[in-house]
Amino acid sequence: MARTNAGSGRRMPGGDVVITHEDIDRAHDRERVSETRARRGFRPRLRLFWLLIGPGILVMLGENDGPSMLSYAATGARFGVGFFLPFVALTFLMACVVQEMTVRLGAATHRGHAELIFERFGPFWGWFSMIDLMVGNFLTLVTEFIAIRAGLGFFGVRPWVAVLGALLVLNFALMTHRYWTWERIILGAAMFNLAFVPVALLAHPHWGEIGRALATGRPLPGGLTQEMVMILLANIGATVTPWMLFFQQSAIADKGLTTRDIRFGRVDTVLGAALASIAALATMVATAPLFLHHMTAANFEAAEFAQALQPFVGHWGAALFALGMFEAGMVAAITISTSSAYAFGEVARRPHSLNLPFKQGKSFYLVLLLEAAAAAGLVLVPGIPLVYIVLLVNVIAVLAMPPALLFLYMLVNDREIMGELISPLWANVLALGVVTVLIGAGLLFGLSVIAPNALALVGGR
Amino acid sequence: MEKEFDSATGAELSREEFTTVMTALEPDQLISAKERHHCPRRQLTRTEMALFWALRIYLVFMVGVVVYQIWTSVR
Repeated sequence: MARTNAGSGRRMPGGDVVITHEDIDRAHDRERVSETRARRGFRPRLRLFWLLIGPGILVMLGENDGPSMLSYAATGARFGVGFFLPFVALTFLMACVVQEMTVRLGAATHRGHAELIFERFGPFWGWFSMIDLMVGNFLTLVTEFIAIRAGLGFFGVRPWVAVLGALLVLNFALMTHRYWTWERIILGAAMFNLAFVPVALLAHPHWGEIGRALATGRPLPGGLTQEMVMILLANIGATVTPWMLFFQQSAIADKGLTTRDIRFGRVDTVLGAALASIAALATMVATAPLFLHHMTAANFEAAEFAQALQPFVGHWGAALFALGMFEAGMVAAITISTSSAYAFGEVARRPHSLNLPFKQGKSFYLVLLLEAAAAAGLVLVPGIPLVYIVLLVNVIAVLAMPPALLFLYMLVNDREIMGELISPLWANVLALGVVTVLIGAGLLFGLSVIAPNALALVGGR
Repeated sequence: MEKEFDSATGAELSREEFTTVMTALEPDQLISAKERHHCPRRQLTRTEMALFWALRIYLVFMVGVVVYQIWTSVR
């Protein structure tokens, strides 16, 4: 029989209620929230905001990961900014729609996503969803270490040193054994995602062109080709992926947010999306000079992008770009491996919280570290087709989203667990719109691979 | 100054700690409560079941497409 979390807890003398270490830490965090909420004025409101934000920003900046930034860089370099700036901004709106549902679900049920799927739909469908998550997460983790290796490679760091160093950083963040501290450290690190903004400024962008692209949009450059479909899918997969659903809901439960905090959870998510979209758009703007100077960038890796950009953004700009790639991989490696560990703990009914000391959360921490170590090890194997893996990861993420979204849609409309917090009509219409776009994009990709000539039937060539 | 908290390490809880936990957390936030009470299984309708299967088949098919694409590219 699985050892329960409560088994490691303590009882009130003469009482029946079992209180765990995790409960005590969470209660302390919640007490600070309650005390702050009781005060009036601007500063307490600001402090309340500071106390309650986190999962939304982390998930959005976490998804601006190695393959995502590489996709944005490749897009800017291959196609410029005309069509793709508004397109990518739109994908972040899609991410907001999807992630808002996890905020309500986590705050209403205090349970993680995997746990709810297993309990409400049973293990048969639960395992399908877990397999999708674990396979996707592992492949994505491999790409995060590719980004880490490539980013630090720009500075002459050897691959094994870069990968080992990243594993040590990941381990260091976990050593706090406290959700709050962990969240603040990773939030601080995630802000370096904005390093792409100064790089974009150093590239001396054409502001008029950017303004026109954002305000009116531009036609798809070169029409609908197989390569274009792949790029479109990679950009969608760069903002909406299954691990985000699992991570944000579990993080909200771990942080202890309640239904009273949903408004802040929404602001947190929108703020995260805004920051992430700024970084994403900046990356495209930064690599646009490669497009303007007709440089072939089809098979660039992260470090090669930095080197190629050097004539346009200078040494410091290129160094910032490489550092941004390292940060993108590092933060995502931490958040994605955490989402796997949460899901494993929820399904295996093992303790799963960043508030746990190592001894009590051994399985949680081991899953997290072992998954990251396996992915890191794979990156060091000579001859592995790293570029392929990077390209495919975002595509696979888009393909795996519709089944994951169906679970989410059904859960968030389940009155038995959501009560009055079930999705309103407008949220359902938006969610179904996102599912339709994702399935449409997936089918278009299938068509482009199986029958490339048939793209002409849908306006391509 | 803001109150600093530290997790207790003893075998039994103090009354203050117990009060903090019980007032700060909602009853269903307690780990022991979550372990005792699980969400009941939901009965899926035929339409829901059909949707689940349709999307599962879609995913398997699309993974096949990805594998095919890798194969043709490598070739």
